[in-house]
Formats: sequence, structure tokens, C-alpha cells
Amino acid sequence: MQYQSSLGREGLIDLALMKYFANVDKKDMEKTLACFHDSAQFTVQTDFTVHNGKDAIKGMFETFFGAYETIIHRDFNCTVDEKNGRISASFVAELIDDKGETTLLYNTNFWRIRGDKFQEVYVYMSGANVLV
Amino acid sequence: MATYPYEYYVNIVTKRYFDGVDTKDLQKVLDCFHEDAFIHEMTSNTKHDGRDAGIKTMFEGLFAHNERIWHGNFVHTVDVETESVNSQFTVEIEPHALDNQEQRYENCNRFYLKDGKFTEVFVYMSGENLLK
Repeated sequence: MQYQSSLGREGLIDLALMKYFANVDKKDMEKTLACFHDSAQFTVQTDFTVHNGKDAIKGMFETFFGAYETIIHRDFNCTVDEKNGRISASFVAELIDDKGETTLLYNTNFWRIRGDKFQEVYVYMSGANVLV
Repeated sequence: MATYPYEYYVNIVTKRYFDGVDTKDLQKVLDCFHEDAFIHEMTSNTKHDGRDAGIKTMFEGLFAHNERIWHGNFVHTVDVETESVNSQFTVEIEPHALDNQEQRYENCNRFYLKDGKFTEVFVYMSGENLLK
């Protein structure tokens, strides 16, 4: 669906990288969820998994934050469609569990923005789904 | 500095590249790539190097092993500043190995261009890799 975004190029990048991923890496649930509308939809497309609404998205992040001691998202390459309120980024997800085992994923996210928050998020993963 | 307008990126992806794939027009497909381009299928970490080598061989196999191929339901994220377009789409494909039974995928591609042609293409698939 097409939404009206109020963010410019730098605002879209700031939302995706600083307000969202930087807070995911800090396991800051409140600031992470502040990026989403209440009715947001979060889809892991490579696994056909859908989390509908902020409560379901919160549950997904509780599981994710609990599964890994360290969460690092890095090496971003952004593609920004300011005209249509969309941004996409490829990145490395480096996830280390409590046994010290590291999972490396080379993923791509697509975000569709309504106003100044995420309405739809799509994740394409290079490996098994970690956002269950 | 952007050389090509927004619609150029949508057109090369839909009207040239995927139309060429869906009509099995190998030359039309290959004309979208630079000679030293590559396609990297991320979900199975399969890489095809060179327009007239790995990419050509991969498409010859794709066309030979499948009856109908269709790409549609596109949503594009276009960035003229970085000469990139990231596209989400549906694939319907009928593999001979499955008695031409239709298989459906929800994929995305990241296309990076230079001088109006693809240099790097990254593919994520929601199922088994078709681009072997």
C-alpha cells in the first residue's frame, strides 16, 4: 500500500539506522517500538512469518533480545525512495548467544513509512529466521 | 549526480529485465548487464560472475528447466542518487521437474547500476534457489 510519509531522505535514514537498529542493538524495547505504528505489520518474507500489530512485534523482540547476548547490525547500504516514503537497506546481523556462538546473516530490510513511523517492514534473510 | 530519472530504474527492472526473463529473451536480459556484472543469490549463497559467462549460463538453465515464468506485484524502492533500485515481487514458475506445477515465491532483488546498466544484483528467495 502507498502511504504519505513526512520524512525526507536524511529522516528516513535516521529512522531506519539510528532510531531503529541502534536501539535494537541496545535492546531498548521502548525506543525500538516507538518506531512502529500500533497497526504496523512486520513480515519475514523468506520464512512467510508475519507479526501483526505492535503487541505481536513486541513479543517477537522479547524473544529475539532473550535469544542473544549481543546483537550487532552493521555495514549498512541504504537505498532511499524519498518520493514514496520507502527505504531499503542491506546489512550484516552479527548475533552472539550466551555460549559465545556467533550467527552471521546478510539480510535486506524494506520499510514503508506512514507519517514518521514504520507501517510495514519486510525482512529477507540469508539464513534461518531468527525473528520468530 | 543523478544521470537517469526515477522511471529509468523502474523500466529497466520491469520492462527490460523481468520482461526479458518472462519471455525467455536471453539477449534482452543480458543487455541489462555490464560485462563484468554478477548475480549473487543470497539465501543459498550462490554467485554467478560475468554477463557472458556465469549469468548467461544461469539463465540458459532457468529457461530450459521451466515452462512458464512470471514476475509481478512489484514494489520498488528507487534511489537515483545512489543509482540503485530494490524491488519486492512475486514469482510464479512452472518447473519441468515438478510436472509444470506452479510454484509461488515472494522474492526481492537489489540492483546496483552504473551508466544505466546492472553491475551487481543480489537476490533473496522465499524458497529453494531457482537460479542455480
